[in-house]
Amino acid sequence: MEELLRVENLKTYFFDKKKTIKAVDGVDFAIKRGETVALVGESGCGKSMTSLSIMRLVPAPYGKIVEGEIHLEGKNLVRYTENEMCKIRGNDISMIFQEPMTSLNPVLTIGEQITEVITYHKRLPRKKAVQQAIELLKLVGIPRAESIISDYPHRLSGGMRQRVMIAMAMSCDPKLLIADEPTTALDVTIQAQILDLMKDLSKKVNTSILLITHDLGVVSELAERVIVMYAGQIVEQASVDDLFEEPLHPYTQGLVESVPDIDAEIGRLNPIKGNVPTPDQMPEGCRFAPRCTHAFDRCFKEEPQLLQKKYGTRTVRCFLYEDEEKGAEHARKDQYSHR
Amino acid sequence: MQGRTNTLTVDQQKGSVSETILEVSNLKMHFPIKAGIMQKTVGHVKAVDGISFKMKKGETLGIVGESGCGKSTLGRTIIRLYKPTEGSIHFNNQDITSVSEGDLRKSVRREMQMIFQDPFASLNPRKTLETSIMEPLKTHQIGGQGERKEKVEDLLNTVGLDPSYANRYPHEFSGGQRQRIGIARALALNPELMIADEPVSALDVSIQAQIINLMEDLQDEFNLTYLFISHDLGVVRHISDRVGVMYLGNMMELADKFDLYKEPMHPYTQALMSAVPVPRKKGYAKRERIILSGDLPSPSNPPKGCVFHTRCPAAMDVCKQQVPKFQEVQPNHYVACHLYE
Repeated sequence: MEELLRVENLKTYFFDKKKTIKAVDGVDFAIKRGETVALVGESGCGKSMTSLSIMRLVPAPYGKIVEGEIHLEGKNLVRYTENEMCKIRGNDISMIFQEPMTSLNPVLTIGEQITEVITYHKRLPRKKAVQQAIELLKLVGIPRAESIISDYPHRLSGGMRQRVMIAMAMSCDPKLLIADEPTTALDVTIQAQILDLMKDLSKKVNTSILLITHDLGVVSELAERVIVMYAGQIVEQASVDDLFEEPLHPYTQGLVESVPDIDAEIGRLNPIKGNVPTPDQMPEGCRFAPRCTHAFDRCFKEEPQLLQKKYGTRTVRCFLYEDEEKGAEHARKDQYSHR
Repeated sequence: MQGRTNTLTVDQQKGSVSETILEVSNLKMHFPIKAGIMQKTVGHVKAVDGISFKMKKGETLGIVGESGCGKSTLGRTIIRLYKPTEGSIHFNNQDITSVSEGDLRKSVRREMQMIFQDPFASLNPRKTLETSIMEPLKTHQIGGQGERKEKVEDLLNTVGLDPSYANRYPHEFSGGQRQRIGIARALALNPELMIADEPVSALDVSIQAQIINLMEDLQDEFNLTYLFISHDLGVVRHISDRVGVMYLGNMMELADKFDLYKEPMHPYTQALMSAVPVPRKKGYAKRERIILSGDLPSPSNPPKGCVFHTRCPAAMDVCKQQVPKFQEVQPNHYVACHLYE
């Protein structure tokens, strides 16, 4: 598969009066055409800021991309001017947000909002744009699309609003769709509908999806590859199957074990101790070390690098895997300690 | 299998001393919809529409359902933040359905406490932890100033916070810590029944697991009874002994958690369970997914007959006309569905 997006050494910082907050601190990843990649982590890990950086929507003047490159089909978006970015947003890359009500304009009809995108990017006459908007609404499974198009957002339920957002995002057949917690505000039965819809659409139009979520269930439902972030950095990268079968990084292991299972009885949950460090009080060495059960002296002094695992295409940021042999030993010990 | 036998013995132990702590029968909570200049009542939102169940001392009853199903209203009505429209609530064999505010404060409010979803919104930002946690003690005139201070220290220790935090303000704490503070305040009066309304939904997964473990520890230590309201089926399965499923103001199914999760009987419960995305693990067989069409109908104008028939994949003619009875179809397994009548 051809590569669509490549993010290299992305650093997005926020500048306060005296402090510098490193929201995204050296992130590298790539997305292939038609691939669905999930960006996972807890609140404050920098996953949303990564996506906003790709869209070049980092809130100015406090936030800034200070280093790194974002290549979309070989073009470096970091160098783009605001005018040039306007042609990319909604056209090549589009975005769905968590809260559909706050991202739809309450004083414009659904139709006006969808046709705005179409007329701007495709320069279609109004009548044709309306026609296309109706087709899009039908595509995302909205009944009575012809009449809904002249309704205002408040008349729709949460699930319907999210469908409208998706219709709007898909209106110019984007190459990349960024979905920032697209189902978090929705009920499970509605969430299932939306996830199904997104799966269908990505197959139909061969759009790549960057899914940002904290829900590991949603990840396994939709994504092919997973990137786990912690405190502004990537700590692990793997295919969905590999990740859930054998999470390597202690943080990923903790994350997987913290979720109560709906299909099995577990005696007691095994949470990660402590709290996520605040960005202005980043620990030295490995950022996860103070919460890690495997941490040793070196973890508190030196910062681990992302390691390519010899087998397969996984990467992990942990000293435990510096040496494959050592890693295997630790993994064995791990299993005993869990029993 | 091991887990199951263990729990059964625990249940039997509880059974020997257990008594009914709460009995709710045919509880209805309708909110009037007012319109026009004269504020005439034009209809009712039937948030809770005829719910009956019993709770034993020391057990955890989980209530699940989607937003708008009335699960929060149920919790708030039981603690009498609202005056029920119909039905009765018996707490420790005392009818509290229409007890006055003053009398409530004298007895019921001490023994029944609530933990809220948003730990930031439920703490006063201008009060220190000590003032917040001490407030229930003051209201109920328990102990002198010194004793109260000691009690606050105790409570902070119990919920895993450093007692030296007592003079800090809520904004200095993270979400998980704030939820611990909320729990400490609820514990201050040594209640018997705790109503927890989505206590972990606002928290990150790793913190969520910490709070769930804390709640389990506290239950053992103080013999608490929990009414645990949540939309997260995994969390509810983990913490509950029995689980009730609500839809549009009605209880659709109520059973022991093992039975409910192993063999959900109501079509709505089946659909709800199948809709939950689960992290894939080795050897995990995917559940057959049932996707419900459409949205939740409005609780101000619920469908006639069974409230679920508009979205039910197994709906029959009778469902459109008759309201199914909530009855015991298997020992301790209650279902409201015409399929089982």
